[in-house]
Amino acid sequence: MALTEDRPLALPSGESVESTKPLGVFTRPTAETGVRSWFTSVDHKKIGIMYGAAAIFFLLIGGSEALLIRMQLWAPRGSLLSANLYNQVYTMHGTTMVFLVVMPIGAAFANYLIPLQIGARDVAFPRINAFSFWAFLFGGVFINSSWLMGGGADGGWFMYAPNSGVIFSPTHGIDFWNLGLIITGVASLTGAVNLIVTVLNMRAPGMTLMRMPIFTWMALVSQFLLLFAIPVLTSAQILLMLDRGFHANFFNVAKGANPLLWEHLFWIFGHPEVYLMILPAFGLVSEILPTFARKPIFGYPFIVFSGIAIGFMGWGVWAHHMFVSGIGPISVTTFSLTTMFIAVPTGVKILNWTATMWGGKLKFSSPMLFSIGLVTMFTIGGLSGVMHSVAPMDSQQTDTYFIVAHFHYVLFGGAFFGFMGAFYFYWPKAFGYMLNESLGKANFWLMLLGFNLTFAPMHVLGLQGMSRRIYTYDPGYGFEFWNKVATIGAFTLASSIGLFVFNIFYSKVKAKNLPPVGPDPWDGRTIEWMVPSPTPVYNFDPIPSVTRVDDFWYRKYGETKDGKLVRIASTAEVAQQRTDGKGIHLPSPSYWPLVLAFGLPIVAYGVIFSLWLALIGAVIVIAGIYGWVMEPPDDPDAAHDDHGPEAHASDGGDAAIPESVDAVKEVETVG
Amino acid sequence: MQRLPKIVRILAVVSFTLVVVLFAALIVNAFQNGGKPLTSLNPQGPSAESIQKLLIPVTSIAFIVFLGVLGAALFISWKFRERKDSDPDEFPAQVHGKTTLEIGWTILPALILAGIAVGTVMTLINLNRKEPNSINIQVAGQQWWWQYKYDVNNDGNFDGPEDITTATEMVVPAGKPIQVTTTSNDVIHSFWIPGLNGKKDAVPGLRSPLKLQADEPGIFRGQCTEFCGLSHANMRMLVRAVSSSEYDAWVKNQLKDHAADPTDPTALAGKKVWQSLCAQCHVINGINDVKMKETKPPLVSGVAPNLTHLMTRGTFAGSIFNLYEPVNSDGSPLPMGDVAAAGDPGAALTGGKVDTATVNRVTLEAWLRNAPALKPMYPQGGRGMPNLNLTEEQIDQLVAFLETLN
Repeated sequence: MALTEDRPLALPSGESVESTKPLGVFTRPTAETGVRSWFTSVDHKKIGIMYGAAAIFFLLIGGSEALLIRMQLWAPRGSLLSANLYNQVYTMHGTTMVFLVVMPIGAAFANYLIPLQIGARDVAFPRINAFSFWAFLFGGVFINSSWLMGGGADGGWFMYAPNSGVIFSPTHGIDFWNLGLIITGVASLTGAVNLIVTVLNMRAPGMTLMRMPIFTWMALVSQFLLLFAIPVLTSAQILLMLDRGFHANFFNVAKGANPLLWEHLFWIFGHPEVYLMILPAFGLVSEILPTFARKPIFGYPFIVFSGIAIGFMGWGVWAHHMFVSGIGPISVTTFSLTTMFIAVPTGVKILNWTATMWGGKLKFSSPMLFSIGLVTMFTIGGLSGVMHSVAPMDSQQTDTYFIVAHFHYVLFGGAFFGFMGAFYFYWPKAFGYMLNESLGKANFWLMLLGFNLTFAPMHVLGLQGMSRRIYTYDPGYGFEFWNKVATIGAFTLASSIGLFVFNIFYSKVKAKNLPPVGPDPWDGRTIEWMVPSPTPVYNFDPIPSVTRVDDFWYRKYGETKDGKLVRIASTAEVAQQRTDGKGIHLPSPSYWPLVLAFGLPIVAYGVIFSLWLALIGAVIVIAGIYGWVMEPPDDPDAAHDDHGPEAHASDGGDAAIPESVDAVKEVETVG
Repeated sequence: MQRLPKIVRILAVVSFTLVVVLFAALIVNAFQNGGKPLTSLNPQGPSAESIQKLLIPVTSIAFIVFLGVLGAALFISWKFRERKDSDPDEFPAQVHGKTTLEIGWTILPALILAGIAVGTVMTLINLNRKEPNSINIQVAGQQWWWQYKYDVNNDGNFDGPEDITTATEMVVPAGKPIQVTTTSNDVIHSFWIPGLNGKKDAVPGLRSPLKLQADEPGIFRGQCTEFCGLSHANMRMLVRAVSSSEYDAWVKNQLKDHAADPTDPTALAGKKVWQSLCAQCHVINGINDVKMKETKPPLVSGVAPNLTHLMTRGTFAGSIFNLYEPVNSDGSPLPMGDVAAAGDPGAALTGGKVDTATVNRVTLEAWLRNAPALKPMYPQGGRGMPNLNLTEEQIDQLVAFLETLN
């Protein structure tokens, strides 16, 4: 919110404090620790951690739904779930995993890492950042609250019309799905704008775009995909909401609607969505592989541009989800070809990662294992993707378990393996202790086994005729054996997730007897490893000035002309010390993002049950906006030691840190 | 680096071995398609065969690329691993990239894909070419069964007096091209006979073409593959390919109606029951077809299956139950097992006498007793067959009547 205001945003101490209590409700929160500090935090690190924690919570819900599905399909004519309940469970499994697990884990890493990787103190709009998180969380809780209010959505995560109409799904499940995803869509959109502005405007001195760490690049591309994809879904969902709640006819075939409208809108969103889920994981792996190969990423510009190419090409392939929908042979051919060639930039990435490992000195710590897991497992998903791009083959494979296998190899074998590696990699930076390596490796091998046992058999099941989204199958089709294997695999997979959660607590307890982890436990390359672990609230003191890709690495090491590496400084010499942070200007916590976000699900309940309730929700939303606007971005009562008014003069609103001022400071101190 | 506990090392070896064994087993199993009636890897008609011709090279290329990447990852991991005795201050050569390599591995996959693209486009043209002298059949999906309309006189209209309306099973002559047009009466379904061709969605308001042709007589099973609500899993279909002469006899019989009263008094009583209850949704040509056209049926999905020639079908209720033997050995209601055990109407297929001894009465009676208990449906919303609360006597009468519908 880079508002330009006439009056100084921070009032000198001793002046009236009325404006700090808009509506006279809340005192400006000041706590930096304790429960309240989390509710009111605008710190990108706390928000990132909350994104991650919420995503793991939803992972346990979505994972339980997956286990229910697998138990139902253990044997022919499973009787654990009714047809009705099964349809709800698989719909909610897909919805939860896409919108409430993979996307927010990406958001968690983007929030935590982008400011650290570009040398900023926070994101561009810290309060909007808090709002994005709370809106996502409330949206997710709202969708899942449908279980307690008449059952979940039962139309599949793709929610094709007209099956999503009131006639065919008279319960409120789809309304919860629809409105909840509109709320999380708002969260994604505000988050995307926030992170794009952050990357474009708040980089440390010297960090040109082509010196940015690859994760930041990939996250940036993801945010652009979100920015353009989410509004399409939201528009489609508003049409659906009007159809279901207000007797509109956008998808009413009897009134002349064409149900393919929904399919097109959904997949114009849905396919970029796939890439925006996988690209952050690609970025994370591009950080991990060079660190443990101890050589730079192979072909930095090619990795970056192939990511951008995937981002662009991702917009021209959506109808490959509709090869058999009757869109006609010309469209089918066109989208078949565009889809095929998106494999080129993806292949470039895989080959560059392999070349990064070539000739290195590979250290197989847990993050490295998960990254190699991604390179190999994602390749399977990518190649089965090429198989689907061949439209005639897709006409046999689509909507069978072959597709289920394909996208789990992409999103689990790709995105989730990358996330797991990154959890192990960045855990010490975020929490100040290492996750146990033995447990980590056990976690990897168990996950690799469970993952393949679950999803590899689905390739064969699909090719041999097992349809997706069926709650039951009969004996005699040859589906029994591999379904049993898949169910055993699912429980193996669940136990590997359990091992990860156990590792978090186990390592925390054990860490008490271990020496504190330094700023740079892995001999890292990028500047986030300069700062103490866990990251201090102010991130950098001072803001470093960046001279090249892998800046931190080259503060430690020099490179001779023939590519030999020589140490020029010890880590302790170039890493930053924990300071008292005095004189560093940080955004102040606020209640208002929470209030505003809290109003949204109330409006949504109101749209479903009573418009009076929606009115109450709207009042809360408006109160939240009013309070937010009237509250100065900076708390005038907060201690601002020894910095003069000129520091504030350049502060254009919510912006975390007057960059120019610190840039000057940085030059003075580090040079 | 400290040494890993033994149990983790064992786990690593076991996991890796199991995954390799799993992949090998899956590859072997992909070639074993016997006894798998829904497999897409055992094509039985020209369209499915042309897809298979594309599948084999494309899958082989994909497999070789995977082996290459996996092999490279494993080889590099082994060759460039950090040795125990290595000097911690020694670093590998710092290679930042190589433009020629990058250009090479951008162009190479693009060339491979261009080759695949050529095959794809040629197959697409082939699959979309209209065959002359096709038999035109309109396939309409509705929750949760398939309706087939044959344009027997080839006048472009599927509802003329000389055309056929049937359900659940599609009877076609082997060796003759069939031009299917898919559509839907409610939500989106997908018509898929994997042995004969890929699938085509049945979208309400749209008419989409699909070619089918069976090389040999036989039974080809299918399953609805677009999620269509509650009983999506129970929406199956069956193509019965027969000889040309048998097909002609079948068409001739299908064009007859069942206006005449049955002679058997039980069956006659059954007809009365049928007319008072079942006729609200179902049609039997000659009894209530005219009336059904005048009054809009109460179902969301349109009408219920046309029952004029019920006994010419081997299966019923969306092809999930056998109408004829074989049945479950203990006599309990049993959905169809494998294709070999699909119900066989015998002579009744072409209008011959129904062999009542082979009729699967147990399942048929159970269906009439309480249909939603056997197949999840939503009769309270007008979708699917309700429980009619028939008495046992009414059920016996009805079965006797239905058995006359050859």
